[in-house]
Amino acid sequence: MNRVIRVEHLARVEGHGGITVELDRDTVRGVQFDVFEGLRLIEGLVKGRSFEDVPQIVSRICAICSVAHAVTCIKAIENAFDVIPSEQTVRLRDLLFRGENIESHALHLFLLALPDYLGFPSATAMAAEHRNVVELGLRLKKLGNTIQETIGGRAIHPVNCVVGGFGGAPSVNQLTRLRTDLQRGLRDCERAIDLWASLAPTDFCHSDTVYAALTPPSGYGYYQGSEITMLTRGIPRVMPAEELHLHNRETTITHSHARHSSFDGRPFMVGALGRLAVNGEKLAGGAVTAMQQLGLELPSDNPMDNNKAQVVELMFDIEHALAEVDSLLNEGLRRERATSVRPREGMGLAVTEAPRGLLSYRLGFDGEGRVTSANIITPTAFNASSVEDHFAHAVTQSPDKSTAALTHRLEMIARAYDPCISCSVHVVQSQRDT
Amino acid sequence: MPKPAVGMFGLTGCAGDQLTVLNCEDELLGMVELLDIRDFLTASSDRDESCPLDIAFVEGVVASKRDEERLRRIRARCDTLVALGTCAVCGGIPAMDRDFDRDRLIVDLYGPGGRQFDALPVRALHEVVSVNVKITGCPIEKHEFLACIASLLNGDLPILPEYPVCMECRLRENRCLLIHDGLCCLGPITLGGCHARCPSLGVSCVGCRGPARDANLEAAVMVFEQHGLPRDVVWQRLQTFAPVPDGRLPQAWEER
Ligand code: SF4
Ligand code: SF4
Ligand code: SF4
Repeated sequence: MNRVIRVEHLARVEGHGGITVELDRDTVRGVQFDVFEGLRLIEGLVKGRSFEDVPQIVSRICAICSVAHAVTCIKAIENAFDVIPSEQTVRLRDLLFRGENIESHALHLFLLALPDYLGFPSATAMAAEHRNVVELGLRLKKLGNTIQETIGGRAIHPVNCVVGGFGGAPSVNQLTRLRTDLQRGLRDCERAIDLWASLAPTDFCHSDTVYAALTPPSGYGYYQGSEITMLTRGIPRVMPAEELHLHNRETTITHSHARHSSFDGRPFMVGALGRLAVNGEKLAGGAVTAMQQLGLELPSDNPMDNNKAQVVELMFDIEHALAEVDSLLNEGLRRERATSVRPREGMGLAVTEAPRGLLSYRLGFDGEGRVTSANIITPTAFNASSVEDHFAHAVTQSPDKSTAALTHRLEMIARAYDPCISCSVHVVQSQRDT
Repeated sequence: MPKPAVGMFGLTGCAGDQLTVLNCEDELLGMVELLDIRDFLTASSDRDESCPLDIAFVEGVVASKRDEERLRRIRARCDTLVALGTCAVCGGIPAMDRDFDRDRLIVDLYGPGGRQFDALPVRALHEVVSVNVKITGCPIEKHEFLACIASLLNGDLPILPEYPVCMECRLRENRCLLIHDGLCCLGPITLGGCHARCPSLGVSCVGCRGPARDANLEAAVMVFEQHGLPRDVVWQRLQTFAPVPDGRLPQAWEER
């Protein structure tokens, strides 16, 4: 007997997507992660545009990851024109990425994912019984936004990031206020860890996932670096970012406007869990304790652990941001102008870690600095094949094959990936390249 | 007073305006006590997809048949339709497609298979249905959204600025990037309300809130020309967040 399990319109995720699983008795015949987002064709629309306008345009690919889009684009432009940003710029960008990561993780963990664990349809419904928990999540989310406002000039679509540096530097007053918020954030984050450690285990999907993440030159971060590590069965392979573009196969699939990615024929997972799998040894301080408290072992074979991985990153980012703000206050910020830019013909490539995983930009320019080609691969595009793989595993491994039970598990897996569906579309490569 | 039934919807966009609503961290829980939120897919799996609504907030553009059908259904079930964000109000970034051959773009990006996608040329909401309130911004400003809710709760329509960004910029006593530095700042023709975010940081306004009321495009273009800014760079920037009406060059340019 054949049946189809369909989640028409996935709630509590960013953007418009659904899930379809076809079963022949209890055997999985087909799995689809459907994307219904309209086309915005942004990679095409930036062609012919002066490099200065491009970061503001691409940031609109996705609000939650707008810092990552704008700044990765800037990094690619700087690589193309051999612009070397100041040390202060690099530090502020690093901090800005952490702000975005904190906001995005807190939003996802508390407003989107947690209602599943506590049995509510939404965070506002959850607030009726667990007001403290929702307020805790909102405070952490706001902390991330405060960092983004302080450095980026706006919580969404940062206005202060320009090629070569920043428009203005934050004031001492702003940084001092931010320090107070971060101190409170540390205490809040400890409560968040206690909460997530107390939840019932979500143990219904196991597989030997391949992970990929940026390899930072030092420490645990999201902005710096130009190499990628692929981790297959615990064995790392480090490669320059260019190689990802060469080996990555993206195929146009009609059920979704997103490209599906695989590396040497295997799907791979990017995001917090992938970053921890690849760079977990670089963690220090409260994040290490958090990992023990949450019972997170690396590399994990359970995609649901991505939620725990986000909790661990929250802790690391808040501690790291606090230390960084302290040292910026001690050393004093310089008023500096953005490094000047002389455009030239060429290609610029950049990779970073957006909250949901690897983000890659490859931009071509003519001699006057106008875009001749744009190729953007987003985390949700990288993850599209992997999430389908995990849907299939979750169904196969579920002892209860009723539609209600399977639907619930599929939705939880989808949410654990924290897909950002706006991102997955219009961010594609043509079939010619594959 | 019964709580108004409210829906929050996203068509094709980046979700930044819905996210701005969720970013009202200090007001969110108080706000949901005053409203009866019936349909908000991004935030809740418990939704009523057909009940009549007093207020519908709609973000994004119409870029597919699916978007168009959803928008028409939303219009049919709501009293007050609020367009949320520059995309919904003017077309925003995706409406830059008006300057391109769309078929070529789609084939370039997705291959010939892309032609099967459900994709329409981009339209702002008012090009498809009637719109009652327009809150612009990319994304919207929190304070304008909250003021709008407060007005609607009182049975009024919100009063939003109609003056350009320059007005706010002057009040903040910023150095003028256009006059003093000859940069392509779109403040003179862009709708205020953002407290001149960008120029206050020394960055040119790129027009993310769409055109100010009665914006004098011709005059602005002449000033840009006086400062020697290349014509095509200015033109492209003008078209970034809102298509210039009729897609026509300002007359001052055409005459020469
Ligand atoms: S107006 Fe701006 S923030 Fe709103 S959906 Fe469009 S691109 Fe996103
Ligand atoms: S800097 Fe821009 S917004 Fe400010 S006054 Fe000058 S033109 Fe207007
Ligand atoms: S100054 Fe211009 S670009 Fe900046 S936020 Fe205001 S309207 Fe948008």
